[in-house]
Amino acid sequence: MDPTLIGQGLLNGLLFGGVYSLMAVGLTLIFGVMRVVNFAHGDMMVWGMYLAWLLATRAGVDPYAGFLVCAAALFVLGFAVQRALVDRILDAPHEMQILLMLGVALVLENAALVTFGPDPHRVRSALGLSTLWVGPIFVDVARLVTFAVAIALTFVLYLFLFRTDLGKAIRAAADNTYGALVIGIDVRRVYAVAFGIGAACVGAAGALVSAVLPFQPSAGLSASVTSFNIVIIGGMGSLLGAFLGGLLVSVAESLGAVFLAPSLKELVSFSLLILILLFRPAGLFGKGAA
Amino acid sequence: MVNRRTFLKTTGVAAGAAALGFPAVLRAQPKEIKIGAVHPVTGPLAEIGQACRLGAQMAVDAVNAAGGIKSMGGARLELILADTENKPDVARAEAERVINAGAQIITGAFHSGQTAAMVPVAQQKRVPFLIDISAADPITLNVAESVKKGDQKVQYVYRNFPTTRIFGLRAVQFMTEVFREAKVSPKRVVLMYTNDLFGQTQARQFQAAVKEKNPGFEIVEAIPYPENATDLSTEVSRVKALKPDILAPVTRATTAILMLQELAKQRVELMGIISPGTPGLYEAGQIAQLKELIEYVMDCVPWPNYKNPRTQKVAEEYAKRSGGKNFDTNSGYSYEAILVMADVLERAKSTDPDAIVDAIKKTNLKDPLMVSGGPIVFNEVGDNPNASTAMVQILGQKPVVVWPKDAAAQKFVLPRPKA
Repeated sequence: MDPTLIGQGLLNGLLFGGVYSLMAVGLTLIFGVMRVVNFAHGDMMVWGMYLAWLLATRAGVDPYAGFLVCAAALFVLGFAVQRALVDRILDAPHEMQILLMLGVALVLENAALVTFGPDPHRVRSALGLSTLWVGPIFVDVARLVTFAVAIALTFVLYLFLFRTDLGKAIRAAADNTYGALVIGIDVRRVYAVAFGIGAACVGAAGALVSAVLPFQPSAGLSASVTSFNIVIIGGMGSLLGAFLGGLLVSVAESLGAVFLAPSLKELVSFSLLILILLFRPAGLFGKGAA
Repeated sequence: MVNRRTFLKTTGVAAGAAALGFPAVLRAQPKEIKIGAVHPVTGPLAEIGQACRLGAQMAVDAVNAAGGIKSMGGARLELILADTENKPDVARAEAERVINAGAQIITGAFHSGQTAAMVPVAQQKRVPFLIDISAADPITLNVAESVKKGDQKVQYVYRNFPTTRIFGLRAVQFMTEVFREAKVSPKRVVLMYTNDLFGQTQARQFQAAVKEKNPGFEIVEAIPYPENATDLSTEVSRVKALKPDILAPVTRATTAILMLQELAKQRVELMGIISPGTPGLYEAGQIAQLKELIEYVMDCVPWPNYKNPRTQKVAEEYAKRSGGKNFDTNSGYSYEAILVMADVLERAKSTDPDAIVDAIKKTNLKDPLMVSGGPIVFNEVGDNPNASTAMVQILGQKPVVVWPKDAAAQKFVLPRPKA
């Protein structure tokens, strides 16, 4: 096997992993705080992509700057979805929560289909086709920037959760809802903010990846499944787990494409999932079945 | 012979007519003939599915405007629209739904996997199924074989579209001829394909055709990738490491964008990108997204014959009704399927499924809209052996027929200019 190709596969996987991480971090935050799996996660990401496309084509904003606007817009969407819908089913059985979130996913997907049509879109960025060469290995600049921004955003989120009062309130509500209520935290507001932040993460991920990845309204489902897979591998509700899980899954898929037939690469990430579930059922960084 | 369906229908109509006091004669001819049009209108193939649907709808409008089916008292055609959502199970369910809603003929479904899922429904319910687009050989072949063996009585499934075998043979023929004309002799071809029923069969038939014709180039590797891949950078790195002269891709719309982007980023130097026949490399939407990246890409696909004035007229109307899109493979063959049906119904003079099948077998429709080796006829397997492909190249951001020579609108560009 050609060592250049292996190195290239490793690098491609790692750089793409930043996006996977950011997607999964958003999902795990929502799950960790209110125990609801956001099955509309991928569709929110697709909306982040379309917003980046609108900004790029209508206002000439490069997605590497526009992602902030997309994150803000998705925060509002997430906040609204939580207040209007998710808040009502927090205590409902899981199957009802899943049905509701799948419903939200359907509405988002088809709203995108009506608004933007079925053709694949891609966002043109100044960085879109630029590359660096390190010896025989090429570095996709767009992916490098995406990776760096995704890491930075995850770090900012970490600081927010551990250093600010609101962040601490979110963690308190996640740890012990009753206790949080007792000490006077407005748990409903905290939930809506957490959902908004989760949606903002995936919105930013969508905008960041929009210059690399062409997208269609139907792209949401597979993004949701990938995020969910990563979150389970990393440990449901664990931020660090989601972050490292994203990198791990991406590198595993990329190396799968090097060593196996590329069409088997999804097999690699789902085999990884089965292995983790067999040997660490709570995930890599999960706190055990609570 | 009176079967259950016609018995129920005629008695029902007679009873209804008797109850209303109208003479039964007026009701004897159906006023509308319902056609189920099942296409992937949402999901990843939605652009194509909607093109198919519009093509079929325009053909229905044209037939009705010209007086409907004259041998059946000017009966009008009516489409019952259905969406496969790009899923075989939904395709099957939708085929059942349109038949229950009264469809007397069905057409569809672009994606070979979904078409294959509809075939058993058509056979069980005895509803003629004229496939507008789907290239995988086994779809009709399996039915033809089970009829031959006596497992099934009648074949209800027919196809007016080149099969993957024809795709493969024509691709090798066109490539050989074009290379000779351009005085180049590429040796190494890498095949990259989407790992679904269509991609696999298309790849296998291309490989078989190369083996059979021994054209002076060889396929050094075949790289399959998942149908809805989100990243092809490693796959393209593999292509680059193989140092091919020609890349032969079989893709879907989104993966075509991913692939061409990566080829440009990784600066893979190729004499040409020539597909043995694939969607994703000629649609207006794709060209608008890919711009310079898709220039000079060649694709051996079925194509409307723009040297036929009728085709030009339909294409003009299509551009108007689609908001400026090209009349291409998909809209073209879906349009033509309805024209074939109208011709069949005209001769069958009935919507009895067996009468329709008899008429399909005797089809001999001259002057097809699409680039073709002759009139539309159906062979013993149920395929149209004259359905063919053409080599199309993106030149000046438009898909142009460049080969075979007699259908060519412009001269091809090969090797592709270096960026």
